[in-house]
Amino acid sequence: MWWIALRMLTGDRVKYLGLLFGIGFSTLLIAQQATLFVNLVGRAGNAVWAVPEADIWVMDAKAVAVDGTLPLPDTDLARVRGVPGVLWAVPHLREGGSVRTPEGKLERVSVIGVDDASLIGVPARFLEGSREALRAPGAIVVDEIGFRRIFPGKGARLGRELELNDRRAVVAGIVDVDPTFTSGVLFYTRYAQALEFVPGTRNRMSFILARAAPGEDPREVARRIEAATGLKARERTDWVGDNIDYVIAFTGIPFNFGITVALGFVVGVAIVGLTFSLFIRDNLRQFGALKAIGVTNGQIRVMVLVQSAWIALIGIAIGTGLAVVFIESFNNTDQFKGFFQPWQILAGTALVVALMVVATGMLAIRGVLRLDPAEVFR
Amino acid sequence: MTALGRRWILPLMALVGLALAFWVALRGEPDRTIGAARILPPVAPASLTEARVAGAGLVEPASELVELSPLVPGVVTEVRVVPGDRVVKGQLLLALDARDARARAGEARAALAYARQAITAARVERDAAARQLALLRRLSEPSAIAETQRIDREEALRAAAARLALAEADAGRAAAALESAETEIGRRELRAPMAGEILQVRTRPGQYVTAGPAPGGSSTPAITMGETRPLHVRIDIDETEIGRVALGAAAIVAPRGRATEQVEARFVRMEPLVVPKRQLTNQASERVDVRVLQLIYALPEDARGFAIGQQVDAFLPARGPASPPPAGAP
Repeated sequence: MWWIALRMLTGDRVKYLGLLFGIGFSTLLIAQQATLFVNLVGRAGNAVWAVPEADIWVMDAKAVAVDGTLPLPDTDLARVRGVPGVLWAVPHLREGGSVRTPEGKLERVSVIGVDDASLIGVPARFLEGSREALRAPGAIVVDEIGFRRIFPGKGARLGRELELNDRRAVVAGIVDVDPTFTSGVLFYTRYAQALEFVPGTRNRMSFILARAAPGEDPREVARRIEAATGLKARERTDWVGDNIDYVIAFTGIPFNFGITVALGFVVGVAIVGLTFSLFIRDNLRQFGALKAIGVTNGQIRVMVLVQSAWIALIGIAIGTGLAVVFIESFNNTDQFKGFFQPWQILAGTALVVALMVVATGMLAIRGVLRLDPAEVFR
Repeated sequence: MTALGRRWILPLMALVGLALAFWVALRGEPDRTIGAARILPPVAPASLTEARVAGAGLVEPASELVELSPLVPGVVTEVRVVPGDRVVKGQLLLALDARDARARAGEARAALAYARQAITAARVERDAAARQLALLRRLSEPSAIAETQRIDREEALRAAAARLALAEADAGRAAAALESAETEIGRRELRAPMAGEILQVRTRPGQYVTAGPAPGGSSTPAITMGETRPLHVRIDIDETEIGRVALGAAAIVAPRGRATEQVEARFVRMEPLVVPKRQLTNQASERVDVRVLQLIYALPEDARGFAIGQQVDAFLPARGPASPPPAGAP
């Protein structure tokens, strides 16, 4: 019986391919757009992920995102260090600035000041140079993409110079770091140096990075910091979540992507539904003949189920295959750097598309079930 | 291609796609695990995990910094010390050009010598007058001429005595002038006001130094010294934490950059005045809204690696737990 169902399906090559194309394409569309969306919005958390040492971020009580905070006075660092359960705390400066490139263009940069002594906050993966080189006067470490934006062209990369707030800055290293949502150029430098690179007000410390003592729950320690100091303290995954929520709430991006995902879904449903119901309508005679020779409605349902499962399986497999090929081939480019394929999206897409195929199959078959076998022979 | 082969093309493609999807998806998320710090920032010692106050501060001499300037402005002729020297109280540190004062002292000395000679001369005259008067008195001839002569002699003696007194006063004046000139020379020398260590010498022979702060408000004292045995640390505590500090208890202090080399520092005193926190922003017009209490602690004699003026991180014992105890805690 199953075999007959499959032969019936593959017998009409054009419709078969049409069905597979429809399913594959809507799978690709949904999976790929959802992945791009998740990754793009997820970039809002990259600044936090880039500091694997710290599990608590402390900031002004009104801060909402990594790029929007009020600086704190220096003594708040000591206050956070005094909270029980805090293993250590270091200052962290994040401020925007502008830099004139050697070619005369203007680039937005984020100057990130890391603790002078421990250098906590510098990304781990160095492409060139080393962490220790940051201790030199005027040393900055630039992210790979940003470096190419500021110094296009070839040549030795370490030792390039530029001017920041009338101070000389020397490239002492290049790091591999996933771009942030605003994707400005990232300049990492020591905290004391950053104070000179960015003209600013009296209070300069944007964040305090802290680590919960071993055996302490970071969320609990964060609550304690909030209670003791009146500042805002967030465990790092919560803080990533806050940043993503901020981006979702204050940009049109999620809305646009949501529309695309919905469109992919609608297109998929339309193609699959139409083709599948057409296919079943075309095979009405065959189903009628089957019923005439004594095949029950239940068996016919199983046959359609087998057919939908088959096309769903192949279509989804090809669609997800294409989606991951897309992600894999583009995640080394600057625009898609650091993008990855969450398995949840693939699983969810597969589930949704499979449900859609089965549902349209079951809808299309209603006519067959009501069919009187004698009809076919008239 | 056979019909059979063609039939399996799509399922094969599907298999490949599925395998790719699994391979990519299982490689999954980028590494987002918590990592350990390579260089540890200051960590509170085990004894202070529960109740503590943290602060930052500077290493300073026990006497604080003593900034020395000469009493009068002038050109430096001689610098007797180099940074790092131990000096005793009263030791000459630097000398200014004092030729004018020396010249005045020479003058005064000459005047004194002259005055002393004048005293001798006046004394000779007075003695001569006294002897002549005594001679006349012995003759006792009551004639008018003799009486006149006697009066003359008496007057001569009184005049001689007055001249002697004048000469002595002159000598006193010259001595005072000499003393004044010598004081003037002394004021052109800078001497150590206390025993201690020379920390900084900001002037060289030939340079002009001013008395007191240099014009323009930039304070560059000629010589900075201080008592460096023992060293003190001055810890800033945020004013909101003042009530929590357990005054009198020892603090755990580590130099900036070597957070693991913690030492225990003895409590010395609390500065009674709460002062504005110095924010190193390099801005001309700074407003301040953070004030700090300064606590002084003495580093142990054997503490190594603390340089004067260096920043330190400190943990101080607190009186009680950090204000409101965490929810759910016993």
